[in-house]
Amino acid sequence: MTTMNTYFGKIREVSRSIIIGMGLTWRYLVNPKEIVTVQYGSKKYGPQKNYLPARHRGIHYLETEKCIQCEICAKACPVDCIEMEGTRDGDLEGAWQGDKVQISRFVIDLNKCIFCNLCCEPCPKNCIHMGQEFDLAAYTRSHGVKNLLTDKPWSEADAEAEAWRRDEMKRLAEEKKKKKAAEKAARDAAKKAAAEKKKPDGDDTKKS
Amino acid sequence: MESYFTFVSSVLGLEGSSLWGVVGAIAVWALPITGFVSVVGLVSIWLERKISAHIQCRVGPMEVGPHGALQTIADGIKLLGKEDLVPANADRILFGLAPMLVFASTFVGFAVIPFSQKAVIADLNLGIFFLAAVGSLEAIGVVMAGWSSNNKWSLFGAIRAATQVVSYEIPLGLSLLAVIVVAGSMSLNDITEAQSGWIWNWFLFRNPFMWAVFLIYFIASLAECKRAPFDLPEAESELVSGFHTEYSGMRFAIFFLAEYGAMYIVSAIAVVLFFGGWYTGIPFLDHISGSIGGTTGVVVENLIGAGSIIVKSFLLICVQMWIRWTLPRIRLDQMMDLCLKYLLPFSLVLLVAVSLWQAFQGPVDGGNSVMGMIMLVATVASIVWMRRLAGRVSKASELRRELPVVKTGL
Repeated sequence: MTTMNTYFGKIREVSRSIIIGMGLTWRYLVNPKEIVTVQYGSKKYGPQKNYLPARHRGIHYLETEKCIQCEICAKACPVDCIEMEGTRDGDLEGAWQGDKVQISRFVIDLNKCIFCNLCCEPCPKNCIHMGQEFDLAAYTRSHGVKNLLTDKPWSEADAEAEAWRRDEMKRLAEEKKKKKAAEKAARDAAKKAAAEKKKPDGDDTKKS
Repeated sequence: MESYFTFVSSVLGLEGSSLWGVVGAIAVWALPITGFVSVVGLVSIWLERKISAHIQCRVGPMEVGPHGALQTIADGIKLLGKEDLVPANADRILFGLAPMLVFASTFVGFAVIPFSQKAVIADLNLGIFFLAAVGSLEAIGVVMAGWSSNNKWSLFGAIRAATQVVSYEIPLGLSLLAVIVVAGSMSLNDITEAQSGWIWNWFLFRNPFMWAVFLIYFIASLAECKRAPFDLPEAESELVSGFHTEYSGMRFAIFFLAEYGAMYIVSAIAVVLFFGGWYTGIPFLDHISGSIGGTTGVVVENLIGAGSIIVKSFLLICVQMWIRWTLPRIRLDQMMDLCLKYLLPFSLVLLVAVSLWQAFQGPVDGGNSVMGMIMLVATVASIVWMRRLAGRVSKASELRRELPVVKTGL
């Protein structure tokens, strides 16, 4: 009798659990609200803000006005993918205003970047961050180089403007050098004059 | 009007055995069936991916075509472009022959499956016997594939497939036999004709045992198709991908197509045997040629019939997929247990019970309406009961609390 009980009991239990399991999958099958997929790149689902964790290490963004161009991020980068240029020598046309610095170029080569976050850690002004964007797909390699000042891929126009600014920066540097030299000369002259003016007095005291 | 294919062949004069007869036979019979098998494969692969995705809270293919409907075509083109690899030390002849044999066994089955009243290629008087014989031919192809691949996973898969197909032939054949006892014929056309009229004339409601016969047939056919939970021959987590591990490109695609073709075949057989074949269950629709008349009426009637059988088959295919994405794969010993300890005795008892019922009832033309109606109501009631049983467990957390612990497997 117990044999029969276990035999039919097994059938009963198995049928019951199959019915319950199939009911569960049926509920998911017919209920589209359960879907958790976010379709990549589609407008309907699209990259919404804040659906990634706050510490997600996506493509970098820069708070330009805080940057002092200390190049610590570039030095920290283990794959050397950050490059920057700028000047403190005066107003540079077309450049971006940092903190007491004119930034002419700030690019990250995302082809090389390993998204390690090591550039953001040492930044003294806390101005470079890992963002939420993760769309790295591009048609050419050059599109993988990102201009952090414009938040767009580094383009031909950027390169031309940057080349012009580089010359301008040289000119500014020379100008400033000259200016400094002139100032120094003037200061020296003034010192000399002052010294010469003082000399007779000194002689006087010596004499007296 | 004779059946469509007989009609065409007689018009074209293809009766003879000349070369033109062979070419005509290929053009009239083989090509439409090849097209049909491919379309069935395309649709059911897409369905499978969609159903599995939705069950697992995903969306499935979405990019190619509306809701990914053309994804299978893209995949097929990709497979066509792949390199055709043959492993070193493989038996090249058998390796090449195996997918053809597997596909052929599925393909030949379509010869006797009715598509509608008139569109049957061959109305054999031994139709079901032919299907059972040809269907098990697939096991030879699978064993060939496993043996010739020179790969231990393939061989394991092939041996498992052989074990499984051979043992599940028995309950499958016995459940087919029960239906033959009720219908009194092995011809698929005669069996379908016996189910004409209202929905309660279907064999599923013919007597109290037919639901159990159908369940046994369905479980055995899942095993015959090597579908989960009986997918031991291609168990991904154990055997890489079983007997077709070494196959790539188009040869793999042919295996895949054969699998989905076989799914359609077993579903279509179930529809013909239990769900009234091409009959919709509403006599007015089934005999619409009487009210429309002429060739139009015949064409409309056939279209309704074809739609009916294909829709019903695809619903059963969906049930197969639903089962696949719900139940875990069973072990080899559990598989043999289920067959020999449960399905085999039950199918024997059911065969005797159905025979006795048929003997005491005597010949009834068109079926017993009262019995049919009672069974229909009982079926609906049991489906409602099952829904309630399943509905009680509405959340996964509750499921964990309520699910009975099955101490030993089936």
